[in-house]
Amino acid sequence: MSTSPAEQVYEVFRQEAEGDPMVHSGNVNAPDDELAVHYAREFYGRRGESHRLWIVRRDAITELDDADLLRPPFDRSHKRPGGYIIKHKLEAAKQRAAGEAGE
Amino acid sequence: MTAAPPDLAVTQRDALAELLLSVADDEFVIGFWDSEWTGIAPMLEEDVATSSIAQDEIGHARALYELLADLTDDDADRIAYGRGADAFRHASLLNHARGDWAFSVARRYLYETADAVRLEALARSSHAPLAALAAKMRREETYHLMHAEAWLRRLADAGGDSRQRLADAVRRLWPDAQDLFAPLATADEAVGRGILPSDLAELHRAWQERVRPALEPIAGPLPDAEPRADGRTRRTDDFRWLHGEFTSVARSQEGATW
Repeated sequence: MSTSPAEQVYEVFRQEAEGDPMVHSGNVNAPDDELAVHYAREFYGRRGESHRLWIVRRDAITELDDADLLRPPFDRSHKRPGGYIIKHKLEAAKQRAAGEAGE
Repeated sequence: MTAAPPDLAVTQRDALAELLLSVADDEFVIGFWDSEWTGIAPMLEEDVATSSIAQDEIGHARALYELLADLTDDDADRIAYGRGADAFRHASLLNHARGDWAFSVARRYLYETADAVRLEALARSSHAPLAALAAKMRREETYHLMHAEAWLRRLADAGGDSRQRLADAVRRLWPDAQDLFAPLATADEAVGRGILPSDLAELHRAWQERVRPALEPIAGPLPDAEPRADGRTRRTDDFRWLHGEFTSVARSQEGATW
C-alpha cells in the first residue's frame, strides 16, 4: 500500500529491557502521532518483545550525511586512539598502585 | 483456570453461567466481525492493528468460554463452535454485518465504551476467577478503547463524507447498542450474590452518561433508549451468515481433535 499525502513515516526504536540501548527497528506509516503509537505497538511490541518504544516522525530527525563532514578529505588519523600502547602504561600503573598500597 | 467451588449453589452457578455466556458471545462475535477487515482495512498498518484487536477479542472470548466450561462441565470449543445461531446470547448491536469503515468504527466505539463499564464492574466480582480475568482483560481493552476513540475523532474531525457516514452509523446503531445492557433472566441472583456487583440498569446509565457527550456533537441529539427484553436473543440473517462462516471448519470434521 502506498503512503497517501496525509500519512507520514515514523521511525521506531525499540528497547528490549530497561537499561538496554534503543535500537532502530524499522518504521510505520501513520496519519498522526496517536495512530503511529498504535501501529508501532502492533508491529514492534505485540509479541511482548519490547520494554519501551520511541516513535519519531521522520521529518523531526535532523540528518547529517555530508561526506565532507563525516569523511573529511584531510588526514584525521590523529583523532583515532591507535598508536598508543596502553598495555604497558596499564601495567606500570598497576605496579605503582600495588607499591603505594604496600607502603 | 480454577474450577468453580463445589459448594456453589445451582442458582448461583446458573447466574454466573448466563453472565459469562453473554460477555463471551459479545467478545466472540465482535472479534469475528472485525476480523472481516483483515486484508482490506484502509491502510496496511491499520489492517494489522484491526486484525490484532479482533484476535484479542476472540482470545478474551476463549478465556471466558473456558471459565464457563469449567463451571458447566462442558468444552470451550463446543460452546464456541458447536451451538446453533439461535443459542448465541450476544447483544443485537453485534447482529449487523461489517458495513463500511465508519460503521465499524461507530460500532467499535459503542462496544468498547460499554465493555469498559462492564469490565470495571466485573473486576469487582465476588467470583474470584471472573474478577481476575476481568482485570486482565481490562489491560488490553484500555488500548482497544483508545484505538476506537482515535478513529472516532479522526472521522468526525475530517468532516464531509467521513463525518456524515459516522453520524449515520451512530444513529443507526444507537438502539441496538443499548442491548449490551439487556436484562438477563438470572440477573437478580448475579447482583444479589455480588457476581455482578452493579446491576445492569446502573451500568447502562453510567455508559450513556459517558457516550452521549462524545457522540451527540457528531450525530445530533440521540433519543431516549433502553435495553430491550429480547436484546440478547434477536438474531438476523447477517449473523446467521457469520455463524455459518465461523463454524464451517469445525463442521467440516465433526468431533475431530484439532
